[in-house]
Amino acid sequence: MLTITTNSFENDVLRADKPVLVDFWAQWCPYCRRIAPAFDKVGEQYADTLIAGKINYDEEPQLIERFGIDTIPTLMLFKNGEVLGAVVAPASKAAIETFIQETLAQ
Amino acid sequence: MIVIGGGPAGCTAALYAARSGLSVVILEKLSAGGQMALTEQIDNYPGFEDGIDGFTLGEKMQQSAERFGAVTELAEVYKVSLSGRIKTLDTSEGVFQGRTVVIATGASPRILGVPDEEALAGKGVHYCAACDGAPYRGKTVAVVGGGNSAAADALTLSRIAQKVYLIHRRDSLRATKVYHEPLMNAPNVEFCWNSTVSVLLHDNRLTGLRLKDVNTSAERDLACDGVFISVGRAPATELFRNELALDKSGYIMADESTRTNLPGVFAVGDVRTKALRQVVTAVSDGAVAVHYAEEYLAENR
Repeated sequence: MLTITTNSFENDVLRADKPVLVDFWAQWCPYCRRIAPAFDKVGEQYADTLIAGKINYDEEPQLIERFGIDTIPTLMLFKNGEVLGAVVAPASKAAIETFIQETLAQ
Repeated sequence: MIVIGGGPAGCTAALYAARSGLSVVILEKLSAGGQMALTEQIDNYPGFEDGIDGFTLGEKMQQSAERFGAVTELAEVYKVSLSGRIKTLDTSEGVFQGRTVVIATGASPRILGVPDEEALAGKGVHYCAACDGAPYRGKTVAVVGGGNSAAADALTLSRIAQKVYLIHRRDSLRATKVYHEPLMNAPNVEFCWNSTVSVLLHDNRLTGLRLKDVNTSAERDLACDGVFISVGRAPATELFRNELALDKSGYIMADESTRTNLPGVFAVGDVRTKALRQVVTAVSDGAVAVHYAEEYLAENR
C-alpha cells in the first residue's frame, strides 16, 4: 500500500496518471482499522482503474489542513490534480465501491 | 453454512462448523470483529490476562475459523430468502446459497432522531467516544444518554476534552455503580439532568445543542464542539423483517438454542433476544448454533 506524504503528494497524487483514492487515517482511530481490510481489497480489485494510498493524520498536518479533514477515516478521490469527492467512514466494502463508481461517473 | 456477520458470534459459529467439517462462508461487510472491533480494551473476555483490544481479538477469531477452512467474503447482504430448504442471499459479491444460515449481524448505535443528525454525523455528531474522541483534546463536548456506555464515553472524554456535559432525560444515571464515583469526581464533567436535545445548532459543523427541560419545557442553548450520542443500540434485522419473528425492539426471537422460527436458520450474538449481550455470550451462541445446525442437517438429509 502506497504511503503518501506531504513531500510525495505532488507526484503521487496531483500528477498521477490514474485517479488516486486516498485514505486519511491514524493509528489511534479504531474505525480506520476497521475499514483497512476493505480499503486494501478495493485497492487490489481496482488496481487497473486507480491507485490507492494512505495519508497519516498525525504525520501530515499540512495535508490535513489543506483538505480540511476533521473526521477520520475520510476517503478522498483525486483525478487530474483535483478532488472529485470524499466520503467519511464508509460502512462497508460495498459502500466504498459505490463511492468510487458514483464519483468517477460524475 | 452461510454466516452473516464476522463478529465474535459469527466467527465462533464458523470455527465450530468448519472444524466439524461443514463448508462455511462468512459474509462480512467491513472487517472482522463487529462492534467489538471498536472497543479499545476488552478485560472481560477470559484468556487475556492484560486485556486485549477488540480489533485484534476480532482478527484472531477470524483467523481461528479460517484455520479450519472457513472463508470470509467482504460482502454486504442486500436480500435474503430463508424459508426454503436452500437459503439464498443476494450480496454485493454475488449470490450465495446454503442449507443453513447463521445470522450474526449484531447491533449498532441508536440515533437520537433530531433534525440534521445524519448530515452532521462526523461533523461534530458522533456515536463512539473511543473512536472519534481524540480530535476533541482541549475542547468542549457533550454526551447524551444515561446508561453504561454513555457513562463510559463521558469518562473517556473527561480525560481528553476540557469540559464534558452529560445530558440525560432522567434525574439520575442508569449506569453501573463503578462509573458513578469517577464521574462525580471528575472536575470537568457537568451533569444536565432532566434534559433532552431538541435542536443541533450548527453552521457547517456542530456549534452547540438546544436543550429542553422535560419538566418545564424551558429551552436553553449549550455551546459545544462535539456531541457523542449514546442512547442504546438497535439490532441489524431490517433484512429479516419479512421472514423471521422479531420482538418489539427488533431483535430476532430465539431462545438459548439459537433456533429461529425458520428451520435451518439460527440467530446468534447481540441480534438475538437475550439477557446479557457480551463477547462471551456471543461466542457461546456461535457454538450452540452449530450444534443445532448439525442436528438439523442430520434430520434433513
